[in-house]
Amino acid sequence: MEKTNKYRILLIEPSEIVSAGMQAIIARHPEFTIVQTLTNPGYYNAQNSDIDIIIINPAVVDYNERFNIRSYFGKENVTIVALTQESYEESVLRQYNGCIGIYDSAQRIAQKLKSAVEEATQTPKSDINELSTRERDILTAVAKGRTNKEIADEFNISIYTVISHRRNISQKLGINSIPGLTVYAIMNKLVDMTDFN
Amino acid sequence: MKLAELIAADNSLLSILQRLNIRLGFGEATVEDICTRYNISTGLFLEICNIYSFRHYQPHIEALTESDVASITTYLRTSHKFYSEVCFPAIHNSIHSLVKELDDVNRRLIDKFYDDYDNEVTNHFKYEEEVVFPYIEAMQAGGDIDDEAYHISKFEDNHSNISEKLNDLKNIIIKYLPEEHSSALRFNLLNDIYAVESDLRKHSLIENKLLIPLVGIMEKKNGEDK
Repeated sequence: MEKTNKYRILLIEPSEIVSAGMQAIIARHPEFTIVQTLTNPGYYNAQNSDIDIIIINPAVVDYNERFNIRSYFGKENVTIVALTQESYEESVLRQYNGCIGIYDSAQRIAQKLKSAVEEATQTPKSDINELSTRERDILTAVAKGRTNKEIADEFNISIYTVISHRRNISQKLGINSIPGLTVYAIMNKLVDMTDFN
Repeated sequence: MKLAELIAADNSLLSILQRLNIRLGFGEATVEDICTRYNISTGLFLEICNIYSFRHYQPHIEALTESDVASITTYLRTSHKFYSEVCFPAIHNSIHSLVKELDDVNRRLIDKFYDDYDNEVTNHFKYEEEVVFPYIEAMQAGGDIDDEAYHISKFEDNHSNISEKLNDLKNIIIKYLPEEHSSALRFNLLNDIYAVESDLRKHSLIENKLLIPLVGIMEKKNGEDK
């Protein structure tokens, strides 16, 4: 990605007209370049590709694979964008980092590609419910009985930030009360039981 | 409508009969017959039924009068009794058996969490029964109320987060207790917690949406009389 400063795109679209149109539109945007076009994902070879974005028409995805497109391509960190001519179930489209409709303007397409790349490079979805390091630190402090004010001073952040961290922690864990959070913290060895005796 | 048909349509309403001390064997009696016999207004009876039958039902006091307040407090008292004599002891027993399987740290943790919670619930019920309900009953009897002593608006402040901790306990059991201890016991315990949680939610709807507004009206009238 860094070496060319261009996002390298693989386009998989069975219609030659649509494929040619898409190539023409993307050619107008210097940050993207199409390095390969296919009419069918069956021709895709995971080994020799150095691809950042796969734009694919969901119609050509094997029906049985429609919920596992990521493993289908065997690449974890690639951005996958749907190019749709018809509507799909939301649960199918959720597999993609973004979705381009056939009536989208050239400008809109570029925007959608950029935000899809952003979305894909953020924390993977499966990890979203793990606590961040900062959240673990704050949870530890909460379990030790510190007040929001004390936590704010200790971490040099505002009280509002502490409250917002605590809200996120509770949302992720499904635990709201301080005693409940303490149980979680001890079970996960963030604090020691002896801290309380 | 016959009461028997109502129960056939939604058996969760059985617990309402129990808490209103309505005895079984009522034959072909209609809802109205039974309400008259037990001195409960049909308006109140149906509000409570709706709360139990429809998850998102928003209760309102339009069909009620101040004379319903006594039935509501009776209902809430028996409801407390049901929680503290049936539901919570069952949960407590399951927790007690569950923690036996755990290592020392987790056992002490869960035990302590539940005991604290249990105390909180007991205090909450005790407070309602010893402070709130007597206050309401005294006001209804037309007794002299010391204005400074209590006011129903304080009720909600003291309404501590009983369901919040129950919810925490549920998630701890579902998500965070070590997997190797998963057993039928845990599933049963969770079912019991879900059941009491949903019942408590209805219980507080009755308190917050029926009892408090009605008592509020009574207080206002009392104030005007003086």
